[in-house]
Amino acid sequence: MATSSYTPMLDRGARGEVLAAIAVAVVTLLLMMVFGLLMRMEQAQVIALGPTWFYQLMTLHGAGMVGVAGLAGAAVMWHFLSQYVTLSMRIFVANLVLFLIGVVMVLVSVLGGQFQGGWTFLFPLPTHAMGIWRNGAAALFMGGLLVLGVGFVLLHLDVARALIVRYGSFARAMGWPQLFGHDDGNAPPPTVVAATMVTIVNLLGLVSGATILVMMIVNAYLPGFAIDALLAKNMIYFFGHVFINATIYMAVIAVYEVLPRYTQRPWKANKVFLAAWTASTAFVLFIYPHHLLMDFVMPKWMLIMGQVVGYLTTFPVLIVTAYGGLMIVYRSGIRWDVASTLLYVALFGWAAGAIPAFIDGTITVNYVMHNTLWVPGHFHTYLLLGMVTMVFGFMYYITRSGPAGGDCALDRLAAGIFVLSALAFTLSFLYSGKASIARRYAEHLPEWVPYNRVSAVFAAIVVAAVAVFVVRFLARLPIATRDITRPTLPRGVQA
Amino acid sequence: MRPGAAACWAALLWLALALPPLRDALEGSMRMHMLVQMPLLAATGFIAVRALAATRRARVLQLSGGSVPLVLAAMLAASYWMLPRALDAALADPAAAVAKFITLPVLVGAPLALAWPRLGTVGRGFVWTNLASMLAVTGWLYVAAPVRVCNAYLASDQYEAGMWMVWLAVAILFGWLVGLFVGAAAPQSATPESTAVTSSAARDRHRLVRAP
Repeated sequence: MATSSYTPMLDRGARGEVLAAIAVAVVTLLLMMVFGLLMRMEQAQVIALGPTWFYQLMTLHGAGMVGVAGLAGAAVMWHFLSQYVTLSMRIFVANLVLFLIGVVMVLVSVLGGQFQGGWTFLFPLPTHAMGIWRNGAAALFMGGLLVLGVGFVLLHLDVARALIVRYGSFARAMGWPQLFGHDDGNAPPPTVVAATMVTIVNLLGLVSGATILVMMIVNAYLPGFAIDALLAKNMIYFFGHVFINATIYMAVIAVYEVLPRYTQRPWKANKVFLAAWTASTAFVLFIYPHHLLMDFVMPKWMLIMGQVVGYLTTFPVLIVTAYGGLMIVYRSGIRWDVASTLLYVALFGWAAGAIPAFIDGTITVNYVMHNTLWVPGHFHTYLLLGMVTMVFGFMYYITRSGPAGGDCALDRLAAGIFVLSALAFTLSFLYSGKASIARRYAEHLPEWVPYNRVSAVFAAIVVAAVAVFVVRFLARLPIATRDITRPTLPRGVQA
Repeated sequence: MRPGAAACWAALLWLALALPPLRDALEGSMRMHMLVQMPLLAATGFIAVRALAATRRARVLQLSGGSVPLVLAAMLAASYWMLPRALDAALADPAAAVAKFITLPVLVGAPLALAWPRLGTVGRGFVWTNLASMLAVTGWLYVAAPVRVCNAYLASDQYEAGMWMVWLAVAILFGWLVGLFVGAAAPQSATPESTAVTSSAARDRHRLVRAP
């Protein structure tokens, strides 16, 4: 069996373009968080925006969060993957530019055109607005998503190119020779395996998404070209689930790369690790029917597949990553700073966030839970305490001024408050779901308001903590470009 | 295959497609017309250009302004022949039929053959993903059209052609992905180095080293 050792060397500084992408992502994230807070305050009856503004904010919040998760995840992946393969910076910048163009189109469609059909643009809602918004606004929104998608297609094609040049095929980049043959210890590093998986699933998802978006834009102006609503929903959720799932698989690369630097222990791409990522590649493509468990016209076998694959997909990568994280830290002498703490907490957030999905993915539970706040509880735990926390961890890691650190008391305080308030915020969603409070409603019954008020308080605290993260990141940007040893190394290890 | 032989095969294929028995058979149904005859006509142009000497291909490519304009030209010409009106014209008007037999090899197959080697993985991937997406959309348009769009073909034929396009789009995407999994080129460096950080940009970075 192969053994591994770790050679401590300098940590690579981030390229300006990567930092620009992260900066755009987190500033937009903060804005979207404010929109989310406003929604919770509306439901708590603290402010009175009215349903039009609520659904506009809900649409922006959803589309914006998915977009920034994709952009930030791609930036993290690009930063680390570029240490193993030669990626094109021009294409990375093209993705960033297309992202900004897409965001402007989405903003204009929502704020100018009053589009409020939700980020999932489920057919036929965008084109059946009953006079609330025009077809042009819906087409602009869907066109904006299309532009965003083209950018990500380009980015993933470049990643595919770089992987093929370096490893010869996706099969080798996924470590199949080591997985299905003799493990000679030469499997690709975890970053490469994860990037390959994300590239495969996202390319398929994005093609599906682009196809249905074009179909819906055609249908908006030529309604005679009818769309099968069930087919549209399948294609949208295939794209949507794959894309948002892929964001965490990109962001987890930060965990694979940074924690070994702190513990001076390698993250091994052994057979179990490779098998987990190969299994998840397949599962992620077949899990999306768990979003359609309430659609009684879906073929029964697909619903059963959605439940079974939903159970299966929760575990492989999550378990090898969470277990790997525990093992790599156990008795390593790691010194906890903000970056390592956030990255470690993110593993918990990912694991904890998967459990409500696991429960909701059970058909009988889904019938009563799916349209409640239980589901936002799941994806806020998974994304806020998991994916986004990984990005925050990366931000603190890359802006460290050296092994001695650079974290101040405010950083540590903000990190502690963020973790606790985010946990309380997500639990308030889950508890509201348990109390059968409906989701996607602008106006709530009086009995639901106390839950919303508690949630709004914690949401405000989360926003404040994240504002500290963002300001501190922007203030320390120049440090992020330097090649220096960043982690606080375990006792006895020379930097 | 020798370049001369390839050119002969391309010419023979083109002539065979132009002969009435095969032409009638292929133009008799919409799906054969769009998904067999037209791609084969484009293929004749592709094969003929590939038979040219590499220096001559490079010269033509340079004169054409590079690979991107050629791909755009090919996509534009191909898009035209997907229009129902163009299909009808090709069946009813001899001039349009001649135009089809000339433009598909010259404006679709030949530009693609010139541009393909220069496109690289990103360019080719973009062509394949775009083709799959657009083929699926066009297929859906034919399936969902509330009226018969071609005078020459029945609505049932139109539906059938649309479904074939959708399945072809799925097959293209699947085939392209399988191609990436199998891989055509050898890896850039020997696999024993694959775990280590080996890109030039990373030689002085943190390094994970695994010993056998």
